[in-house]
Amino acid sequence: MVVAAQAPVAAEDVWIPSACSMCYGTCSILGHRVDGVLTKIEGNPESVLGKGRLCGKGISGIMTLYDPHRLNKPLRRTNPEKGIGVDPKWEEISWDEALDIVGEKLRHVRQDDPRKLFIQRTTTNTSSRTPWQVFGWAFGTPNSWVAGGGLHCGNGAHLISGIMHASWSVVPDFQYCNYAVYFGASKGHSAGHASCSNMGMAADARARGMHMVVVDPICNFAGAKATEWVPLRVGTDAAIALGMCHTLVHELRLWDSPYLKAKTNGPYLTGPDGRYLRDAATNKPLVWDTQTKSAKPFDAVEPEQMALEGVHTVSGLECPTAFERLKAHLKPLTPEWGESISTVPAATIRRLGQEFGREARIGSTIEVQGRTLPYRPVAAIAFRGAQGHKNSVYNFLAVDLLNELVGSADMVGGCLGFNPSCHGHPETGRPHYIPYADEDGLMITGIWMAPHLPYPMHEPRMPETMSLIDLYPMTMMSPLMASSDQEEMWQRFDLPYRPEVLLNFGCNSLLSVGNAETVAKTLKRIPFIISIDLFITEFSEFADIVLPDCSYMEAHDSRPNFPFIFNLPGGMGEWCWPVKQPVVEAAGERRESSELLVELADRIGIREDLNEGYNVSMRLAAPFRLERDKRYTYREICDMELKSNFGPEHGLEWFKQHGVIKWPKKPEEVYWRHFENVRVPIYWEFLIDTWEQANALAEPRGWHIPREYYSPLPSFLPCVSHEETSEQHDLYAFYYRDAIHTNSFTMENPWLDETAQLDPFSYTAAMHSEAGRRKGLKDGDWVWIESVKGRRIRGRVHLTEAIHPEGLGIAACAGHWTEAQPIAKGKGVFINDLLEVDMEHSSPANLNLDLCVKVGVTRCDGEWS
Amino acid sequence: MRWGMVIDLKRCIGCYGCQLSCKAEHGTPPGVFFARVLKHEEGTYPTVSMIFLPVLCFHCEEPPCEEVCPTGATAKSEADGVVAVDADICVGCRACMMACPYGARYFNDENRHYFPNNGATPYEQMRVQRHQEGVVMKCDFCRERTAQGKEPACVANCPTVARYFGDLDDPRSQVSHLIKERGGYTLHPELGTGPSVYYLPP
Repeated sequence: MVVAAQAPVAAEDVWIPSACSMCYGTCSILGHRVDGVLTKIEGNPESVLGKGRLCGKGISGIMTLYDPHRLNKPLRRTNPEKGIGVDPKWEEISWDEALDIVGEKLRHVRQDDPRKLFIQRTTTNTSSRTPWQVFGWAFGTPNSWVAGGGLHCGNGAHLISGIMHASWSVVPDFQYCNYAVYFGASKGHSAGHASCSNMGMAADARARGMHMVVVDPICNFAGAKATEWVPLRVGTDAAIALGMCHTLVHELRLWDSPYLKAKTNGPYLTGPDGRYLRDAATNKPLVWDTQTKSAKPFDAVEPEQMALEGVHTVSGLECPTAFERLKAHLKPLTPEWGESISTVPAATIRRLGQEFGREARIGSTIEVQGRTLPYRPVAAIAFRGAQGHKNSVYNFLAVDLLNELVGSADMVGGCLGFNPSCHGHPETGRPHYIPYADEDGLMITGIWMAPHLPYPMHEPRMPETMSLIDLYPMTMMSPLMASSDQEEMWQRFDLPYRPEVLLNFGCNSLLSVGNAETVAKTLKRIPFIISIDLFITEFSEFADIVLPDCSYMEAHDSRPNFPFIFNLPGGMGEWCWPVKQPVVEAAGERRESSELLVELADRIGIREDLNEGYNVSMRLAAPFRLERDKRYTYREICDMELKSNFGPEHGLEWFKQHGVIKWPKKPEEVYWRHFENVRVPIYWEFLIDTWEQANALAEPRGWHIPREYYSPLPSFLPCVSHEETSEQHDLYAFYYRDAIHTNSFTMENPWLDETAQLDPFSYTAAMHSEAGRRKGLKDGDWVWIESVKGRRIRGRVHLTEAIHPEGLGIAACAGHWTEAQPIAKGKGVFINDLLEVDMEHSSPANLNLDLCVKVGVTRCDGEWS
Repeated sequence: MRWGMVIDLKRCIGCYGCQLSCKAEHGTPPGVFFARVLKHEEGTYPTVSMIFLPVLCFHCEEPPCEEVCPTGATAKSEADGVVAVDADICVGCRACMMACPYGARYFNDENRHYFPNNGATPYEQMRVQRHQEGVVMKCDFCRERTAQGKEPACVANCPTVARYFGDLDDPRSQVSHLIKERGGYTLHPELGTGPSVYYLPP
């Protein structure tokens, strides 16, 4: 028997407050450092972000910090040949040499045409957003994306949450909600925005008795905790939501009339072409004044006097209100119609609509901290699952219409955006942002994650970006950055340049975007690739220079969870601003990427633009604005931001000591919609112009943009998979986000990998037991999964009753093959390798890549069995 | 007093926070999980339910592991009811592992590391290598933490606040109250082991 040595008394034993980056949830942590070694990560109980409690991923950050396969030195490729599985034959170089090479490349490309720089960064490290966005602006390139992490995230969810809730996402008001319907969402039950805080709040809500209906093809995570699980055919969420809307409007005649009149464009009059009727003098949309029986500008009539319904005669024209158009649109979209598309019984859809309407308690009020507010304790939310399809926009919008009809959008107990309104810290009044109205009375978000606002939409124009976001203004993230038809589309729309340098931060697009073959082809077209990363990844096989980054345990950031629309839990409680700081010293020659960008900006000669970019992006106020030509470290910039927001005594050093600053939320902030005079569109009138303008640019170039994707009212539109007729391809493969992994990044973490191996779902393809029997499969069998296009992946099947009979559920996003990540290599099922990345599989509305694919499954005999 | 735990299956979402906070706290070697989460499916489509069942050592009132231990290494504390292994006395015969009906015990033949070709990480050097080799290891309700007045790691960390820790002998404790009010039950009561870990129904 070996006797353990008695541990000596530690010379150093400290708990250091910081922020997690094992997913984009950025929960607040305490790192326990003993004699220079990180020995434990716990949640920071002082913070609202996680409230002192962490998921399995957050706990396991230790093993990512100390992974011996982490990068420690700059590397240069010596093998000019690039390809999947081709060894770049790395040689170690000094930082001086690396920076000379990178600086020279960037300087050269900027002199030539700054748009030729293509930036991609990971979603996982939320703190990277500001330094990378600012660097991109200062450099002058419009070409950046967050690769697969973003593409597979919330293209439709973020757009519509932005337009309808002035926030990045939506969540039930857990403290007051009594009845929540989740469409392909896991808020509070797995990962994601404000993940650990939401887990606690959702558990409180369920314990309180919140009825939770989960509409999802798989009964895992949220489905497992549902009061009622409603399995549906993959990608048909809109058909159920619209059927429920039909029940509310046509069977129950139930809606919140005062809300719709005051807070939406429901009463706006529309002409025969579907556009608003506008006032000749002011150009403002007209409403029907029931007192004077005449059309007047919307802001000249008290909401209660407006006609919500009906067709009104104005200047001899028959003019329905927008709400009247919605009613007519919903007329044929019955629960029976919904069943024919979704397989969910009409009786279930009808009952859900009835329950939703009844539980909304339309007309009721409640007192919150002395304020009497509308009480609508129902919420319909959606996220990645519902909108990760070609019909992304309408699937999400149809779900949100439920909230609008019953008036539960951002009301007590209803569907909340994450913190769309903030009046600022009581001592400084900062940060400060409130949704405001445009000239049509429609809401513009007070803060956003990018300069490209969801509303108002810019007029479609000829593309200057690789993404074609200029032509498709509803796009948040575009597959054209790595699609098989990018060159064809760029030629078609005369893109005047091609990418020459790709600057990558932490993305492994070979795994995260779609089939690796397509992504590899796009990378091979780019002459020079620089990658800043924690590990050698599959992406590195295409890089020319690889630079070793600090992990979140070795880095600074002043705003790990800001903007609050991204990551602070919604609902009443406290505002909370934490910082990130190093818990241990960086090993090897790793450098903080945010500091590296400052250094590169200096070498390229864009220091002034960079400083101005930070002034704008961080909304820095005097005297804490950056001087144009002064050289700052990123740490100094962090210090300026904190002092700008919270006063000179609350700089970076104060935050490093104290971890977080908190102050109470007010009902005027959380339930802002009741207080602010803004409306949201239940009728997306602006899409009529958007389509006409986009198609006018596209048609002459032989490109047709289907009009049905630009109707002002949502319908169900099929995915490519719904139209496949091959009998051998009888299952809809779809992917979902596992609770124990974040994108492809965490598969190298041995604690998480081990946990995933023990989980029946994490590394398998979940198939309904009956489908398995039909195919002669047993639980655990190795199978080939083959798409109609002939792409084939291998995996083990898990037979279960907890999935729709037509579904094949696979957790994303496995598939590592690099020897440089021996823990991750070969684990899980590489579903992304089945995905086509092209315009055919992307939404003609917001370019959302469809993430479901029709497949056949056969037993793997021979070499793999 | 008798330390006990209550796990609310209505709140648990299977995030594995308990399983991994336990691992981080104790630096257990690969393959060893003092706390685990099992996923169990019941019913047939579409009336199916997925149960997330966190398990650990149940610190039984009549521990079968204690009965079979030839050296007295495994003992139930009379002071607080915690069943623990004295590594200095354990000879690694593993009879206790055979006797435990809940699979809550592990044999540490040698201290392995998570990156097998690279040796111990700095964390593992500090945490894993303190475990004795050739002995049985298990959950001790985080003795070191409770001695400092802290809750066990799995309890303190649970993001859904699904785990409660307290004195089962005290009828006024939160755990006693929850068991009484919510119909707390133990796993395999027919074995007569008297577990100190209770579950509240999903």
